[in-house]
Amino acid sequence: MNETLKSFLEGLDGLTLECEARRGQACSLKDVEALRVEFLGRKGKLAGAMVLLAQMGPEDKPAAGRKANEIKAALTALLESRQAELEAASTKDDLAGFDPSLPGRRPAAGSLHPITLAMQEICEVLTGLGFEVVAGPEVENDWNNFEALNMPPDHPARDMQDTLYISDNIVLRTHTSPLQVRTMMSRKPPVAVIAPGKVYRRDSDITHTPMFHQIEGLLVDKGVSMADLRGTLTAFVRQLFSADTKVRFRPSFFPFTEPSAEVDISCMLCGGAGHIKGEPCRVCKKTGWVEILGCGMVDPNVFRSVGYDPEAVTGFAFGLGVERVAMLKYGIGDLRMFFENDVRFLEQFS
Amino acid sequence: MFISLQWLREFVPYTGSVKDLADRLTMQGLEVEAILDPFESIAKIVVGHVVDCARHPEAEKLSVCSVDVGAAELLPIVCGAPNVATGQKVPVALLGTTMPGGMEIKKAKLRGVVSCGMICSERELGLSEEHAGIMVLPAGLRPGQLLTEALGLEREVIEVSITPNRADCLSVLGIAREAALGFGLPLTMPALNLVEDAAAGDAPVDVAGLVRIDIADPELCPVYRARVLTGAKIGKSPDWLRYRLLAIGQRPISNIVDVTNYILMELGQPLHAFDRSLLKGDVIRVAPAQPYLMDAPSITTLDGQERKLLGSDLLIWDAERPVALAGVMGGANSSISDASTEVLLECAIFRPGTIRKTARRLALPSEASYRFERGVDQVGSLFALERAAQLMAEVSGAKVLTGIAMSEPKPWADRSHIFRLERCNALLGLTLTADFCRTTLIGLGCGVDDTDPACWQVSSPSHRLDLEREVDLFEECGRVHGLDRIPAVLPKISKSLESVQMSDTEFGFLQGLKAWAVGAGLREAINYSFVGTEDLDRLNLPASGRIQIANPLSEDQNVLRTEIAPGLLNNVRHNLSQGNASLRLFEVAKAFVADTTSDTSARENSRLGLLVHGARHSQEWPWEQGEADYLDVKGLVENLLTHYRLASQKTVAAYVLEPGHPYLEPCVRVELPGTAGKDEPTLIGRIGRVQPKIADAYHARKDVWLADLDADLLRSLSRATTPVFRSLPKFPPVRRDVTVICPATLKSQDVEAAIRDIRPKLLESLALVAVYAPDANDSGTPTERNLTFRLTYRHAERTLVDKEVDKEHGKVLSGLPQKLPVRI
Repeated sequence: MNETLKSFLEGLDGLTLECEARRGQACSLKDVEALRVEFLGRKGKLAGAMVLLAQMGPEDKPAAGRKANEIKAALTALLESRQAELEAASTKDDLAGFDPSLPGRRPAAGSLHPITLAMQEICEVLTGLGFEVVAGPEVENDWNNFEALNMPPDHPARDMQDTLYISDNIVLRTHTSPLQVRTMMSRKPPVAVIAPGKVYRRDSDITHTPMFHQIEGLLVDKGVSMADLRGTLTAFVRQLFSADTKVRFRPSFFPFTEPSAEVDISCMLCGGAGHIKGEPCRVCKKTGWVEILGCGMVDPNVFRSVGYDPEAVTGFAFGLGVERVAMLKYGIGDLRMFFENDVRFLEQFS
Repeated sequence: MFISLQWLREFVPYTGSVKDLADRLTMQGLEVEAILDPFESIAKIVVGHVVDCARHPEAEKLSVCSVDVGAAELLPIVCGAPNVATGQKVPVALLGTTMPGGMEIKKAKLRGVVSCGMICSERELGLSEEHAGIMVLPAGLRPGQLLTEALGLEREVIEVSITPNRADCLSVLGIAREAALGFGLPLTMPALNLVEDAAAGDAPVDVAGLVRIDIADPELCPVYRARVLTGAKIGKSPDWLRYRLLAIGQRPISNIVDVTNYILMELGQPLHAFDRSLLKGDVIRVAPAQPYLMDAPSITTLDGQERKLLGSDLLIWDAERPVALAGVMGGANSSISDASTEVLLECAIFRPGTIRKTARRLALPSEASYRFERGVDQVGSLFALERAAQLMAEVSGAKVLTGIAMSEPKPWADRSHIFRLERCNALLGLTLTADFCRTTLIGLGCGVDDTDPACWQVSSPSHRLDLEREVDLFEECGRVHGLDRIPAVLPKISKSLESVQMSDTEFGFLQGLKAWAVGAGLREAINYSFVGTEDLDRLNLPASGRIQIANPLSEDQNVLRTEIAPGLLNNVRHNLSQGNASLRLFEVAKAFVADTTSDTSARENSRLGLLVHGARHSQEWPWEQGEADYLDVKGLVENLLTHYRLASQKTVAAYVLEPGHPYLEPCVRVELPGTAGKDEPTLIGRIGRVQPKIADAYHARKDVWLADLDADLLRSLSRATTPVFRSLPKFPPVRRDVTVICPATLKSQDVEAAIRDIRPKLLESLALVAVYAPDANDSGTPTERNLTFRLTYRHAERTLVDKEVDKEHGKVLSGLPQKLPVRI
């Protein structure tokens, strides 16, 4: 081995040793950078050592070049590991004051009104069962709100709904049932729709507000029976409340359905027992049942009003109060809270 | 409707419990709302025997009694009643009893004499108005016995809610029929043993010839019957009658009137008793007010009120004048008084709609009109008349004259309907047998002809006016079988695959809109659609176009809101009063404006209202403190437009000041550029601050910022947009800032527009990055401000070189001062 090569190789090893020795003194990223420039920079020590390469014969150059590359890699590794050590230490220092318990920069939280919450849930279940959502005006004419629904003028059934009038012939709709009329007037059977919306009655006390929300359901087709109605409502309340909810049909009267029934469901609080640990249940008043909606088979007179043939099709309709569902589901005791819009009330439904 | 169980048992031999009866009736469609004890308040009163009664040593008007109440020792009771005497049986309230009036009986010393209880008057027991003295009981009663038992007072009453179709159930008889049907028991009518009497004189008189009944229109009054009683002695009804009325909440009045009420409650037939001596001529005419009463027709009813009449009101007339509002209330000129002895007892049927109109217009609902409105059993009415006459004779000592004066221009005609069993089962989803349906229909009183097994002929009974069609009979069969026994079957809905998706419906859109608002940190409010005229006036909203409610519940709910703001502002007031100082609310609801072209006379427009008030952020660390302002609410609107893809380059919204808005100041119109072929921009809504004077009325001391946007318009605009993909840029942008020194009055929007107008090539986007207002004039208002815009240039196919950007940017720098009064 000639001398030039030997001293070149020794010089390079010396560089490694020196760098190893000095890397510990580098106490900041800046120091590390200075070392890098000193050893690996364009005018650094490695570059300086490489001058010898030019003096070597072609037989030595490959070995010298290999060595130079090894040393360059070694130096780079030494400095990078130092840099990593320092960075780790600095992150550690940065994190020393980190307080994970400080409050976050929370964007304002929004919330749906509990009535909307209940309404959307009801509509989701019913659309899942195959119903389509329709909408209509809240100011209605007498024909759509009453007459087409088998409530002729001066019929006592009109007493069932205290009406807010705009004029003799125009009312604030007292139920969502006019949507039955509007839908059937504009479509041929089969029809499967639900109509959610605001309704109005001239009634205001602890259990009534002059505006409230209803959802109407209507299914008309060939051969629809009351068993279909019961099946639909059972599936509906079981999804809305719980899978073991029981359904009870009680005969009742609505002018636009015949037969008509009130639907009770087993009380969700006491499970239908009527009492909880010996105390009477406050939700169902000891009966074990909670009245939830009204329903029935579409009255032939309604079909006649909208131009359907009652001998050709049958159908069922149901209507339920959304506030009632919201009160039962969320345990709200006072109906009037719904319309005060107190943010302390609203934020509970975030 | 209250039904006494004791009374019911006179018609049907039901021996079960009141609870079982209530449950059965409820499941038959007669909802029992409550089971009551009408005499609960006197349940503890006992019978006492006055063993000794002596004058109080210190007080002349007081007596000191020793009373046997069935206990080991006699009770000393001081009594102030003048009629108390030794040997009497009296009602005694023992120590600890709470009287109906709420007073508790305690041991007391009256002028030095100990009293351990109270001897009661009828008024104190709520049994009558009698309070001149104590109540003296029949002699045979056992001391210590409960008074309710001793007097046979009814303890079980059910309150039944009767649906409008079941007029037949507005009586004991009707409920008894249902109980008989439900429990398979026989129904027994009370025995009739009416004794008729020839006239007081020698010649026999038949009332049929004595009193003429004259009906103007058979449709208004298909039948009118009258009986005549003579020699009645008006007075208190016997106890059993009074107690029975009391048990169902009816106030006893006098024997003749009590009987009419009794029959009404028992059989559902309203009756009216006239004092025959006050009727002119022996004629009863049933006719409307017109054309007989021409000017300002009116009648004074027996409650002393003068009632203005319409020509269509049906009246009962004597030979000269109206004597009663038919089916609603008797007239004062012919009513029974204590002096009456001659009675004309009316038993008639009137047309429901006519009675209803009159009773409603005059706000005179009565037990009688309630039943006539719903329909009374024409065939059954004769029995009611006979039973009433018999009872009147019994309780008043009157003689019932022979015969009935009557006119029945429209006799009851049987109504017959077809009944197809197959269809019945198909509708109900049941498999009822022919036997069951036949038995049920016959049990209801129907006539059944099943000659054709597939299509029966069924006639419905006269008391079931609601059985008008085949489907009504189906309901009866289902009801008696039990609707609750209908199985649950999930229907197979045949539905077009083309039907609209939820998201395409109005409901779906509004649901999405609400979801956006929740995501934007707003809380949903729901307010009544109506407000008070004052609420709209306060906001200086125009009076035209308002939709008034004709019969509002109150003045603050008498008009439909024409804008979304009034409700949200009321929420501000409520929340501030509750100490909720920072508000971020939204509401999605309709605004209503009169529109004569609409078939409902209203135009309804869904609005989105946004309201911010008070602190911008949570007042907790680390948020910076600050009050919500224009930029907060505008930011929400911008975010919303972006959400619905209405904020692209093509549809960039303009925010235009609108002076003179009724309640917002400043008021900014949010406008989108007009669509193809339309220069007119589209008004999406407005943003603004509620004028402080108006906000003050809602107790808001800080700014209230509102946005009122047209949700219907948002829906239609958003439906027209579809995202279109653009390739991501492959080459880097070059960004240049320009600071424009401009008068404070110049809008940022105008500078931006001017830059765009210069049309620098390669300009990709433009954004305001800084606003600085260095100088202020004497009043502190800045006269100038610096707006720094960042312009981003980019070429789609290559990297830009400085030179070409300099050229384009230079156009902006030189062009702006030429277009606007600005410096660079």
